[in-house]
Amino acid sequence: MVLKGIKRGEMVLEARGITKRFPGVVANDQINFEIKAGEIHAILGENGAGKTTLMNILFGLLQPDEGEIYIRGERVRFRSPLDAINMGIGMVHQHRKLVAAHSAIENIILGHPRAGNILNLKSAEQEVLALAERYGFKVDLKAKVWQLSEGEKQAVEILKALYRGAEVLILDEPTSALTPQETEKLLESIETMARDELAVVPFITHKLPIVLAISHRVTVLRRGKVVACMETAQTTEKDLAMQMVGREVIFRIERADVEKGKPVLQVENLSALNDKDFQALNGVSFSICEGEIFGIAGISGNGQQELVEVLAGLRNAQGGKVILDGKDITHASTLERWQRQIGYIPSDRIHVGSIGDFSLVENTALSHYYDDQFSRRGILNYDALRKLTEEVISEYGVAAPGPETKAKNLSGGNLQKLILARVLSRNPRLVIANLPCQGLDIGATEFVQNKLIEAKKEKAGVLLISEDLDEILSLSDWVAAIYEGKFMGILPAGEAQKENVGAMMAGLQLKGYEL
Amino acid sequence: MRIGSHVLKLEKRATLSGWKAALISILAIIFALALLSLVFLLAGVNPLIAYHEIFSYAFVNQFGLPLTINRSIFVLLCTYAFIIPYKAGLWNIGMTGQLYAGSLFVLGIVVAFGGKQFSNPTLSPVLLIPFMLIAAMLGGAILGAIAGFLKGKFNVNEIVVTMMLNFIALWLVSFMIKEGGIFMKSGGEGESFELPKSLIAPLIKGIPFTILIALGLAVLIYYLFARTKIGYQIKAYGLSPAAARYAGMSTAMIPVLVFILGGALAGLAGYHYFAAVPGLYKIPKNYTDFGDMAFYGIICGLIAQGNPFAAIPVALLFGGLSNGGRFVQGQLQMNFGVDYALLGVLMISLVAFQFFYRYRFSWVHVEKEKFDVVIPHK
Repeated sequence: MVLKGIKRGEMVLEARGITKRFPGVVANDQINFEIKAGEIHAILGENGAGKTTLMNILFGLLQPDEGEIYIRGERVRFRSPLDAINMGIGMVHQHRKLVAAHSAIENIILGHPRAGNILNLKSAEQEVLALAERYGFKVDLKAKVWQLSEGEKQAVEILKALYRGAEVLILDEPTSALTPQETEKLLESIETMARDELAVVPFITHKLPIVLAISHRVTVLRRGKVVACMETAQTTEKDLAMQMVGREVIFRIERADVEKGKPVLQVENLSALNDKDFQALNGVSFSICEGEIFGIAGISGNGQQELVEVLAGLRNAQGGKVILDGKDITHASTLERWQRQIGYIPSDRIHVGSIGDFSLVENTALSHYYDDQFSRRGILNYDALRKLTEEVISEYGVAAPGPETKAKNLSGGNLQKLILARVLSRNPRLVIANLPCQGLDIGATEFVQNKLIEAKKEKAGVLLISEDLDEILSLSDWVAAIYEGKFMGILPAGEAQKENVGAMMAGLQLKGYEL
Repeated sequence: MRIGSHVLKLEKRATLSGWKAALISILAIIFALALLSLVFLLAGVNPLIAYHEIFSYAFVNQFGLPLTINRSIFVLLCTYAFIIPYKAGLWNIGMTGQLYAGSLFVLGIVVAFGGKQFSNPTLSPVLLIPFMLIAAMLGGAILGAIAGFLKGKFNVNEIVVTMMLNFIALWLVSFMIKEGGIFMKSGGEGESFELPKSLIAPLIKGIPFTILIALGLAVLIYYLFARTKIGYQIKAYGLSPAAARYAGMSTAMIPVLVFILGGALAGLAGYHYFAAVPGLYKIPKNYTDFGDMAFYGIICGLIAQGNPFAAIPVALLFGGLSNGGRFVQGQLQMNFGVDYALLGVLMISLVAFQFFYRYRFSWVHVEKEKFDVVIPHK
């Protein structure tokens, strides 16, 4: 119903020899890629493999230095995304690009050539509803975007692209912010689209099971080059991971059995407001003992950020208590908490966890400048800091030319290693890790997770917050599901399964786990 | 642009070395002088003669050179006053007000010790000149602290606050030195009283001792940011307030601190001009002309990219050109403000050339494209 007489199997999009250089790197090196109507062709690669560059080239945001793009056999050149849209390419960004104050339908027709100056929402709504029904998207089109969940926002973006007549749909990390249930639904929708002769190109960093579940073909990128292009049916998760990372990857994380000690952190009935003064955290209680990892599973925006900020002293508690090693620190300053050996790995490693224009030495100092060891009478001991940074670089395998490199030149994984090293080198009693592996590739994820387990072995208490249920389940000794600022249940590792925790993340109260 | 199989492309620079930055600034100066020579031509003046006059008066002439140096010390102190908050990502537009406040405090100290009575022989310069310096810094610091406090505590925009405090300080000076004011010169005339002879600042070869303070401060400011813990915190806050907060730094105190330091240095600039430059030793009627000159501190600070050593030649250039420009205007009987035109063009050129701090042109070899289909917009 969407396409204009396209036959299954016809080549819709082809890119030949795409090369794009940025100062110092070749982001895309002679990349070939093709997709046929009705095909789901995944592009897989770690961060820095050149996925984003390729995606931007296919959508007209960047112009390639070399190479050609063909649409149904015709050579095209996109000067801007508008050209790409007009040629039937639709894009769903990982970070939603919708107007929050407008309704879903207003967002969908925004910029549509048929919208004209006077909006005819009624007829547009009927067409969009038909599309939504066909592909199984359940969205209230009249709802404002800010009221929608991440999954619904994504549906709006997909509908927007389809309504504009997309024949090729590019999806950037389509499942990164979805609950397991939402993910399942999305995959069904994508399959229906493929049956309707749409060509779908999901770009995926590390969720290999998703690739295996839906795609027909998969192209693997590594360091800007295509290293493999294969039929999905003829490959395995292990094989894909190896192609992507360039070495063998162990998937199972060794859960360490550590004798648990006395409580490190006790949180009692904690509540807090968000930046807009709405109740974001609503009476949360838990405790973490030495040698335990306490995992909080939940979709972002359900109070996790506020919780860690209150624990870090960056946000005032509205009520409740925070007790560290038996001392009430509810009203302690941030610096005081660090000096009492709390270590915090923030989710925003670029803007909060590090300073891009600072060297690695100066970034390391962010967690050490107040230690007597590194500053005397107001003078920083840069020699000692440099030595520490050099140790950190070699011990954690941070890929950097040297300690004076600026942090902005590091990749996400290396930056996270540096932050982790800086925090763990203080031997913290409590480690707060907020989305520590978000956006990291397989190798770095594995590394970070193992370091958290090491911290646990060193008798630290670890608070792990993640959207990735697999990560929570494989690492944690206790699993709590958070929804709208409340815990829906706290489960010991043995009882926590994907199904029950996933349901709690979606706001369901399960029998037997009421708090 | 395309010539043959080569295309001129704009590329982002990955790094920029110090000498390249200096080279870009020198090119910007040459460009500005070339641009302004068109204006001289239109005015019927040979630009070579004009520039010869400007530079020889500003940097060689035995009468012009001391004037240049005095102005440059003033501009340099104002540049420091801008640089320190700038390192914390904050804009001090209030050097004018801060130097007025510093000057008023200097006069206040003199009055407190009975120095308003002309040629009071009992006043000891060894004691009182340091007092005057401290008073100047205190006055500037207090005015600066207001902006810093409002920024740190309530996140009030520091540009607006410092700008408005300029007006308050300006009229406060007027109130104090004009008819009926405490610092009025006996007999009025809209000026302040003159400093007693004994409190005149010592000179080194005709140049006030404040030159040593100004040059020494470059070392201190450099050390502050290169070595000290507080300098490190200021830089961290300047680059990323969120990261500084995360690292446990006090995001309420850092703005107060940088504005106290900046204001204190602007206060010193006030001491320099109104209490140390030979021939003045008072707040004159046209004090706002000196106050306006403080704004050169902003542009010098930006050109020097916050580097106190780089600020020295830049301030010297600005002091010299404003001085030489004014001279040549009278000398060659030109009917427009050469000094303002010169500095205005120079500022625009220097700022525009900062584009090349981040980008550069390069020739790229490309293969000829065989055919092209450009999609028409629907």
